[in-house]
Amino acid sequence: MYQAESARLLVQGRAEASPRKRLRVSRNVVLLGLTSLLTDVSAEMVATVLPIYAVFALGASPLQYGLLDGLYQGAAGIVRIASGVVADRRSRYKELAAFGYGISAACKGALLVVGGSIGGLSAIILADRLGKGVRTAPRDALISLSSTREGLATAFGVHRAMDTAGAMLGPIVAFGILLAAPGAFDAVFAVSLCFAILGLAVLVLFVRNRREREPAESPRRASLKRAASLVVLPRFRLLLVVSAGLGLVTVSDAFLYLALQRRLDFDTTLFPLLFAGSACAYMLLAIPIGWLADRLGRMRVFVAGYVLLLLVYTALLVPSVGLAGLALYLLLLGAYYACTDGVLMATASALVPEELRASGLAVIVTATSLAKLVAAVLFGLLWTVAGLATATIAFGAALALVIALATLAFRRADWGLAGA
Amino acid sequence: MRTGGSPVRSRVAIFVALVAGCLLLGTGWVVVAAMRDDSTTSTARVKLVKPAEPAAAEPAAAEPAADTGGRPAPKGPPTGLLVRAVDPSDTPLNGHLTQVALDGGPRDASVQPLACRRVHMAGGRGLCLMLAPSVLDYRARIFDERFRVRHELKLNGVPSRARVSPSGRWGAFTLFVNGHSYAVDGGFSTATTIVDMESGEPVGNLEDFKAYRDGDRIEAPDVNYWGVTFAADDDRFYATLATGGQRYLVEGSLSKQEVRVLRENVECPSLSPDENRIAYKKLVGGEGEWRLHVLDLRTMRDTILSEPRSIDDQAEWLDGQTVLYSDGRDLFSVRADGTGKPKRLLANADSPATLRGRS
Repeated sequence: MYQAESARLLVQGRAEASPRKRLRVSRNVVLLGLTSLLTDVSAEMVATVLPIYAVFALGASPLQYGLLDGLYQGAAGIVRIASGVVADRRSRYKELAAFGYGISAACKGALLVVGGSIGGLSAIILADRLGKGVRTAPRDALISLSSTREGLATAFGVHRAMDTAGAMLGPIVAFGILLAAPGAFDAVFAVSLCFAILGLAVLVLFVRNRREREPAESPRRASLKRAASLVVLPRFRLLLVVSAGLGLVTVSDAFLYLALQRRLDFDTTLFPLLFAGSACAYMLLAIPIGWLADRLGRMRVFVAGYVLLLLVYTALLVPSVGLAGLALYLLLLGAYYACTDGVLMATASALVPEELRASGLAVIVTATSLAKLVAAVLFGLLWTVAGLATATIAFGAALALVIALATLAFRRADWGLAGA
Repeated sequence: MRTGGSPVRSRVAIFVALVAGCLLLGTGWVVVAAMRDDSTTSTARVKLVKPAEPAAAEPAAAEPAADTGGRPAPKGPPTGLLVRAVDPSDTPLNGHLTQVALDGGPRDASVQPLACRRVHMAGGRGLCLMLAPSVLDYRARIFDERFRVRHELKLNGVPSRARVSPSGRWGAFTLFVNGHSYAVDGGFSTATTIVDMESGEPVGNLEDFKAYRDGDRIEAPDVNYWGVTFAADDDRFYATLATGGQRYLVEGSLSKQEVRVLRENVECPSLSPDENRIAYKKLVGGEGEWRLHVLDLRTMRDTILSEPRSIDDQAEWLDGQTVLYSDGRDLFSVRADGTGKPKRLLANADSPATLRGRS
């Protein structure tokens, strides 16, 4: 199938088609995926029990916990760009990623030691968020540098599928432990630490820092200034504007889940199942959609993802959703993640020069997540002032407009089928 | 950290050793933890406070009805109290239900097998909100006058308030719900559910009721309810409605599925036995700083009670003159007309429910 596909692309005269007959995902990407899988098992185990641990074992009020959690949401964004720039200097991707994963592993250990006070706990949560901020950009840069240009989206798809699998396993493991040993939060933290250590070990022991480029190459040092100068690249600028623009008209998924739950009018105890359902769809679709993006054009698939999101908005407008409707919406939501998350990184990777890869990816991610944060606040405000239907229609219309503009802009920029 | 520094084989060996070590540590820890005697229920006991204790000293004129027993009340005199034992070292643990007799003679306490985080009982039906043994979720248990569990519901949130209507027909509980946060991650909201105490089925979420203020429908998405109190007709109820940073007292009807705003800044209302007054906590100054008040529904006049500390509790009427509440550790009584001084009634007790004889 792979050969046939390549041959067909060659017939279409695609200049960039791989000389190799089959696209394989590099060993490095699979290993990074394994690191993320193990780390996500570890992280989600703790995330599952943390609210109840803080309230039950520490006696914090749910309000206190909410503040604790919300306080650090922005922390990752600040360090992300800095970490990208540092990683780009002398190609220290693996070192920076290991540092970030190391912080998170250390935090799991710290939970056992000082997690018993609310002050200690908040310090740990902050450090963990910072660790996440540090590792993301160098890791994604390493994924892109370990992959062939025409297999970028597939590579990110493999990584994200493994990552999501870990995120789904984590709560199951935590639940199993607490079922076997009621109230034993320390056992959850200890097992979480084990997973974190193994994830870090896979990275340190087996992941290679980069595929081929030698440090002998011109040492054009990365800096914040150079990272900022990326915006003069027309295509990078276009992608930055489009992804941030789409982010600005994105209804936060927290709202979507809430709306789905209300439309279905089901038991609130099933709320976590909504997340699990869309995560499952994301996990299953990440690789096929990545593969498709490498063939149809990554930018095209990225924008198509937002068309799927537009369809999900209808859930906010219809009076009720049946079980089949719910399954469809969760599938759409999962497909939207699969079309946008890894694919955006793949698209950006193809545009950013190698020596600025981590910084460039960090800039895109930070801009997009900032835009989404603004959108969430705006939507909440609009909902309060004008009602849910008006807010949804406004956001839907704006999203449709941005999609149309983005499509036009890509046409004008002559962004071909290959999608950069 | 260049690859190739150590041969692949030794790196594999290191990894295998790590896997083995982690397996050993992880399973070992879980096994040891499983064998540990770790319970979600505390063994703390409610302590009776001797009347002679200095904390209870007060002028005889302000003596509340707690010990006099026979004061007439519309729905039968109070015959006893049902409280929850509080573990001072770990207050959120489930605490055993304890009955305290009030009708003359020496007060004695009897410990019941049920353990809860929050409890209320009326009309021979009780509602116990508790941490499940797995500690992963909370349960509501509906029990009868002999403390036998009749129904159990899974709760999706941390219990904060429980109320049973005077006849025992309806129950209401408020939970803090994390999944409801929107706009910014980590927000919190509450969910208040009405439950049929006979069938054990939830019959409605207050957020689905129609809400009105000055005749206008409130349709804001940020509406939260907490702290329900029922009237004796099994239809009328009062609760707190919060929206746009304001907390309102609402009067509602179960049959019409609607609520109307009566007044601002009233939280956790508790309707008096004569149904003319509401004891509640009023936000004064900053967040988390409350004072107990009594609102007269006929004149809408407010009276501040003599408890000088901030109290975060839904009060309970002992009789027409006295209000019971907890400071998180001990149970107090105070006169409802603002006079007198608060009196410590029981140590290590909260969640008071006044048990009344059927007259």
